Amino acid sequence: MPDRIQLEGLRIQAGSTPLVQDVDLQLEAGEILALVGASGSGKTLSARAVLGLPGPRPGVVAAELAIHCNGTVHRPYDGLAAAVAAGKPTRFWRRSHKAFAPIRGHIVGTMAQDARGALDPLWTVGRQLREALELGGATDEPSAVLVRAGFRHPQRVLELYPHQLSGGMAQRACIALALARGSRFLIADEPTTGLDPTVQEAILAELQRLAGEGIGVLLITHDLRIVPRVADRVQIMDRGRTVEALPSGLLASSASPEVRALIDATARVAGGAL
Amino acid sequence: MRPGAWAGAALLTLVGVVGVLTAVLPEPWLPYDIVADVSHADAGLAPSAAHWLGTDHLGRDVAWRLVLATRAFVGPGLLACLLASVIGVGAGAISGFLGGPVAALVRYLSTVTASIPRFVLVLLAIAINGNSTWLIGAVAGVAYSPAVAEAVFSRIDSLQRADFVLAARAHGLGPVRILLYHLLWVNCRRMVGRHALNLFGYLLLLETTLSYIGGFGVMEPQPSWGNMLAFEFGYRTANIWGVWAPAIAIWVTIFCCGLVSEALAERRRA
Repeated sequence: MPDRIQLEGLRIQAGSTPLVQDVDLQLEAGEILALVGASGSGKTLSARAVLGLPGPRPGVVAAELAIHCNGTVHRPYDGLAAAVAAGKPTRFWRRSHKAFAPIRGHIVGTMAQDARGALDPLWTVGRQLREALELGGATDEPSAVLVRAGFRHPQRVLELYPHQLSGGMAQRACIALALARGSRFLIADEPTTGLDPTVQEAILAELQRLAGEGIGVLLITHDLRIVPRVADRVQIMDRGRTVEALPSGLLASSASPEVRALIDATARVAGGAL
Repeated sequence: MRPGAWAGAALLTLVGVVGVLTAVLPEPWLPYDIVADVSHADAGLAPSAAHWLGTDHLGRDVAWRLVLATRAFVGPGLLACLLASVIGVGAGAISGFLGGPVAALVRYLSTVTASIPRFVLVLLAIAINGNSTWLIGAVAGVAYSPAVAEAVFSRIDSLQRADFVLAARAHGLGPVRILLYHLLWVNCRRMVGRHALNLFGYLLLLETTLSYIGGFGVMEPQPSWGNMLAFEFGYRTANIWGVWAPAIAIWVTIFCCGLVSEALAERRRA
């Protein structure tokens, strides 16, 4: 059985308002799953649920999460159901760091939409990398990690502050950080938003290369155009629910009205067919 | 840091070291005896090799008294900074990071403390508990802590929602490490340092003011820059340095606090 993330029956609420309902996610090592949907459809919340990051408010109220890695299975949401049933979900969230600690950064890495904002503004790239490496007890040199993320002059990048990086460099630095401790999975939250087409292409090529090396990538995006070329499978979300999940090659032939609406809007904006 | 700030820091360090030494060393070890130095024949002498800043109306050496007076405010000033930083950072961090009823209670207490004017609080404390510069320092520190708490609270409250804090959690950093290291140490230490310097300057002014007015603070024959100023001002001896030396010392020390505080300001890098 390959390493995989299996999330079932995810439900996220803000107070009593449901934000995400009955969402299932499955991601295997070595594949790219695109999570597509309009803004506010619950893509980011669902992906963050894998790391236990929403919550307590808005909070995950129901989820079956099993992360299989190197023969062991992590089930960090065990105990949530009991806490919710007792009406004391904060009891679970207070201890959630312990349950998720073996996953965060060790098995699953993340890169945020605003790459520069995801880096501590008062620290150089090198210092942030060293901290990430120290946490995992890894002995790699920071510059070696940067080379793996596609930097050609790592020594110079190590000395830079986040505000001195270009958008593409910041994204690459975030990839380097996310995978510094040998994560098997990468959650990439809209990694191409706000970048020029050449850099977008480079970042997507990077993600494909990582998938080729056996890393499972969860690619969150609202840009349907990149999906068929980059992703293996695609899952479309709308108003907190999964509308459809299918191999990305079949996206254009989907019959679901929500998917058709997304495709048509994309075609109108981009000019021409998908 | 610019050269001015380095000079300020150096001078403050000198004042601090002298203030601690004069307070810690036992009386017989000090090269100056407050009582034995009185000599009416030498009153109001101009500066000379024997008396660098001349003598006051009782014939006492102004330079030595100037040096000895540092012990009146350095120790209490450091105590005030320590109290304000510990209480302020603790309260600000708890209320900013935890939220909820605990935060509401902490912020309520800090607002109540902040609503009492500091000077009045200090006067009240020494009127009730007796006159002591250490008490002045302690009360000033507690009275100043809400300002530190408010600053730390608002910074932590805003940074908590920053993407890099979320990213830190996603990387598996624990809440304690994020709060103590990333939020407080990396992002708040300069701000707390500035508050401490402002408080040190404030305490120097408070101590010298009380000693100037008399009846509170440092009393004769113990020297304070405040009571030196007050006495010499009243007697008007031929030696103008009896008045000018403590006045300049007060001004320069507070100016140095401002210089260093300015150097600690966080500027957005272009």
